[in-house]
Amino acid sequence: MATSICRTLKYLQPTMCLNIKLPQPVFVPIRTKKRYFIPPAVNVKQKSQSEQETKARAAGVVVRQQYIERAINISCTAGIFDPYIPPEGDARLSTLSKEGLKQRTEQLRQSAASQLAFRKIKDHDPEFSTKEFPALAQQIFIDAHAALTQFNKEKLHSLVTERCYPEMVRGNRYKTLRWRFIESLEPPRVVHARCPDMISKGNLYGQVTLRVHSRQTLAIYDRFGRLMLGDEDEPRDVLEYLVLERHLVNPYGRWRLHGKIVPAWAPPKDPIIKTVIIPGPTLKPEEAFEDLHYQVPKPKAVQWYK
Amino acid sequence: MAASVVTWAGLAAFGRACGRIRSRLLGSSSTLSPVSCLHTSTELNSKHWERKNLVVYPPQQKDELRRPAEIYHCRRQIKYSKDKMWYLAKLIRGMTIDQALTQLEFNDKKGAKIIKEVILEAQDMAVRNHNVEYKSNLYIAESFSGKGKYLKRIRYHGRGMFGIMDKVHCHYFVKIVEGVPPKVEQKTGFDQAKEYVEQLRNRTIIHSL
Repeated sequence: MATSICRTLKYLQPTMCLNIKLPQPVFVPIRTKKRYFIPPAVNVKQKSQSEQETKARAAGVVVRQQYIERAINISCTAGIFDPYIPPEGDARLSTLSKEGLKQRTEQLRQSAASQLAFRKIKDHDPEFSTKEFPALAQQIFIDAHAALTQFNKEKLHSLVTERCYPEMVRGNRYKTLRWRFIESLEPPRVVHARCPDMISKGNLYGQVTLRVHSRQTLAIYDRFGRLMLGDEDEPRDVLEYLVLERHLVNPYGRWRLHGKIVPAWAPPKDPIIKTVIIPGPTLKPEEAFEDLHYQVPKPKAVQWYK
Repeated sequence: MAASVVTWAGLAAFGRACGRIRSRLLGSSSTLSPVSCLHTSTELNSKHWERKNLVVYPPQQKDELRRPAEIYHCRRQIKYSKDKMWYLAKLIRGMTIDQALTQLEFNDKKGAKIIKEVILEAQDMAVRNHNVEYKSNLYIAESFSGKGKYLKRIRYHGRGMFGIMDKVHCHYFVKIVEGVPPKVEQKTGFDQAKEYVEQLRNRTIIHSL
């Protein structure tokens, strides 16, 4: 699309009476009017960083100071300190047999560190009692998971610490979770406690481990409503070691779910319903996969917490 | 001046015809329900294409048919013409994902490489995030191109003339669905002729004996 540039100039000729000076009208030459748009030039020489900076400073362009910030959360600790190591075969032996009784008596007599921790917690929180705490804690656990199914963020933040929240919520945003707590098979028990202090000496956090043996149902549906894991009608017996934490020095601190301990002897979880490719060795053109006799590496049985 | 008789029935028919023409112009590649044909979004659902991946469906009952997974993906501001991109988008419509990738790999156009990248990204997304089981069990349900934002430059002509040159950009949209692609019925000439004859025979003659 071609547009012609006007070359004519409009101007007024003064009249023939030379002595009389009539006021000259102000004329705006049209030729200098900008009629087209030129975007910034594309083929500029690439200047070095320092030259660009000097040019920018000369032009008066100010670059704001860049803040490299990383948020630190002081209302909860980053992990589980001195984690409880659950004894092997915890829920396997019945309590009435001799081995079961021996195990129970061993567990009842808790270690000295835990007793010390309990005393420290009672100093800061006089309402804490080893007998009433388990019921409260189980209620917190049930409420937290119910809030997770409804995805009620505010309630979940009040029931679960900031360390546990991303672990519970990650990947679940576009999934539907259906979880039901049917009943508790054994009354929950406090098995372990520690009182670590972070950074400064008096900044105490209390971490209490609770042993919960219960029956639950879980079903996870993906974005399209198809079942990914579990079964809604099939209840399962679950043995869990929950860790609850509270910032003792803070008067508004509350006992919140901090994490779970998965023992090394825990049975492997059920696989998900879909088939997954495990990355294997890269083959050369002359090799065949069956001839390699590749052993899929099994993970080490280590206690981990989540 | 000829007297024109305009009846209400005539006006209604005119309105319906206009709606049908508009819907035909708008919904060339997208499958819209009859109700949504009347007033769809202005840019053929382009602005919200990324948002379509965030829809969550309620859990299905055990007796319902398994809902196929749908993954939406797009790439914005590709330095290519939308008309040239359309040819490639039309080529792969309705193909399985492997077939589409093979066709694009051996196509000489510039847009083919870009579309191939987009489809591979979408396939990867599907397997990782959207719970698709087999990465080959996908087909291209929708694929189309749209106009991106153009940059304007000057093209110098002789005699001090100039033109404004558009540096064209386009967007490319693709919707990938899990499962086997639906079979498109091929209509032969004989079938069409048969239909035509049937239409002629079904005409009713009014105001006759």
